[in-house]
Amino acid sequence: MNSKKMLIVSHAPFWHDGSGIPERSYHTIIAALPAAFVGIAYYGAPALGVISLAVASAILWELLLNYAGKRPITVGNGNAALIGLLTAMVLPASAPWWLVLIGTFLAIIIGIQIFGGIGANPFNPVALAIAILMVSYKSHLDFDTALVNFTLDFPSTTDPLAALKAFGPAAVEDLNPVDLFMGRQVGGLGSSCGLALALGGIYLMLRGIIRWEISIAFIAGVFISAMLFNMADPVRYAPPMFHLLTGYTLIGAFFLATESSSSPVNFIPMLVYGALGGVMAVLIRNIGVYVDGVIFAILLINLINPLVDKIRPKAIGKVA
Amino acid sequence: MGEMIKMVMVLTILSVISGGGLKGLEEWAKPKIENNVMNLVKGPAIRQILEAADNDPVEDRFKIKDGDQELNIFVGVFGGKADTVVVESSANGFADKVGMVVAINMTDDTLRGMAVTTHKETPGLGAMAKDDPNFSAQFAGKNITDSFGVTNDGGQISALSGATITSRAVCSGINQAVDTYNRLKPQLQEQIKGMGN
Amino acid sequence: MAKSIASEFTKGLWKEVPPFRLVLGLCPVLGVTTSMKNGIGMGLATTFVLLCSNILVSLLRKVIPAKVRIACFIIIIATFVIVVEQMMQAFAYTLFLDLGVFIPLIVVNCIVLGRAEAFASKNGVVKSTADGLGIGLGFTWALGLLGAVRELIGTGSLKGDVFGLIHWDVPNIFGASFEPFGFAVQAPGAFVILGLLLCAMNLIPSK
Repeated sequence: MNSKKMLIVSHAPFWHDGSGIPERSYHTIIAALPAAFVGIAYYGAPALGVISLAVASAILWELLLNYAGKRPITVGNGNAALIGLLTAMVLPASAPWWLVLIGTFLAIIIGIQIFGGIGANPFNPVALAIAILMVSYKSHLDFDTALVNFTLDFPSTTDPLAALKAFGPAAVEDLNPVDLFMGRQVGGLGSSCGLALALGGIYLMLRGIIRWEISIAFIAGVFISAMLFNMADPVRYAPPMFHLLTGYTLIGAFFLATESSSSPVNFIPMLVYGALGGVMAVLIRNIGVYVDGVIFAILLINLINPLVDKIRPKAIGKVA
Repeated sequence: MGEMIKMVMVLTILSVISGGGLKGLEEWAKPKIENNVMNLVKGPAIRQILEAADNDPVEDRFKIKDGDQELNIFVGVFGGKADTVVVESSANGFADKVGMVVAINMTDDTLRGMAVTTHKETPGLGAMAKDDPNFSAQFAGKNITDSFGVTNDGGQISALSGATITSRAVCSGINQAVDTYNRLKPQLQEQIKGMGN
Repeated sequence: MAKSIASEFTKGLWKEVPPFRLVLGLCPVLGVTTSMKNGIGMGLATTFVLLCSNILVSLLRKVIPAKVRIACFIIIIATFVIVVEQMMQAFAYTLFLDLGVFIPLIVVNCIVLGRAEAFASKNGVVKSTADGLGIGLGFTWALGLLGAVRELIGTGSLKGDVFGLIHWDVPNIFGASFEPFGFAVQAPGAFVILGLLLCAMNLIPSK
């Protein structure tokens, strides 16, 4: 690539700003770190342990498969580290070591490497891994049972979404949105602080690494569908602000739904993709059996990604 | 033309040999299979719904003629008195027939219990008719004078979630069993008179 | 001659293991392998059908007219499948309850028809017997392996028997604190684990 040959004719893109996968990965890691730090601040050493183990094991799994598949070593591009970090951020701080190892195995090997490595994965690897863990180990990913041994000085010591599912909006109406936004709620170790996630998301948008269309459409989808539910029956369905600030909504909007190889590239498809994800998440939360629907919603929109990307301007001169 | 005849001949001969052989095999295997079904599926189910009985209902069974059909009737003895009969029945479920056993208390004409025995329903949905004790428990103690139905159809049985068809099949199977019972009641009373002493 | 018969037999055991090398007959492979017991039971039932149909097709290969050969093969295969179904109900009823609809589905298992069409209808009885037995046993160990892996990961222990003859009972291989990975015994887990086993098979060179 960097040889000094003259007159090279290559395919698109013809202009390149010099950034590559490593830059994207490291910027995303920087964006995700504040939320992870908030998690460490709230949950202490166990959270740090989960994050370190996840990042280390993710890199090791990728290295292992690079060797086994006799492929070039790709751990240097930081993608494995990023996926390890994001996997840790959606797990509860109490996750045992083997759960972390299985999670990163599923994310790195089943989620990405099986499909041929970075850029070829049809699903968001983190969402895939967490979905499989959710159906296999319900009790470890149920924040109420998982975090029972932690003493947290949060306004409510139960998972707000689980409380909503079990007792209705009345049980959660005294939760202050500011508390929720600051991450003072029971949840994944790096996925509950809305402020830090939003800061990271805005940083990534300004850097051009994630597309604002997807995140904004996702948030709008959650907000509008939750508002419609709430207007239809305020006794049974929680207000939109609540849905926006709890569970995996914001980490989903900024970090999971926007993952580059499993999301669309055109303007209208991005809006459709994001909005559908938000609507699905609220549908699963409000009328499904699962407490949080964001993970499944993201897997579902990953599935329709190739389909919505067909909505694109017609090529000039092409017949039918 | 010759080839045509050969084709027909070969196919016919093969089918005849196959059909005849299988018929023979079925004759030979049928008692063994019935025995297996009795011991491994119906037996445990009947013993479970008649847990409090003094006798072994699977041992104390007799056959009774209903039209040109032969039915197995199992008898339960409670407090020294043979007052319960178990009737088998089946109804069309979501996939294939749902077989069940229905225990009826003859003194007051109530259901003592029921259990699904053989079925091919969807695991996790229709199969819950067999696996979910809460569903079958609904039937115990109900009077058999009113026919059974799921709540959607105005009946008194709450259907399994996601398996209304199976729940309907179970209800109609019980209704059939009750019909059979009502039809054969005099003969049944005659048969069990001497039992349980 | 003896050497070629041996090679017809052994090719099914490793070089042409149906689910792993040929990737054939995946419906039972994915459907019944929730435990090692079910996998081996299904594999042996298929082996019986394969062996008998191979022998009969090979014997009748000169008699069966080419135009209706598929119909004839299906009659032969279906006959033996019903034989297996009846025998299993008579002697191994609990296994029959576990395998359920997959026993009748052996009729449409492409391995059985495939061997009848591709091998038995062109080769002599001895070779066809060797071929049927080899492919069948290959299918059996593949199903047994997949079932064992899924049962181990999904429940943490191995338990079962083959027709009451051989028993095994290995509780808690990973220690008592192991928490079963439920995904492995569910349907999507079957695909993932089959894929990983295929990967592992391809790491070992086939020759």
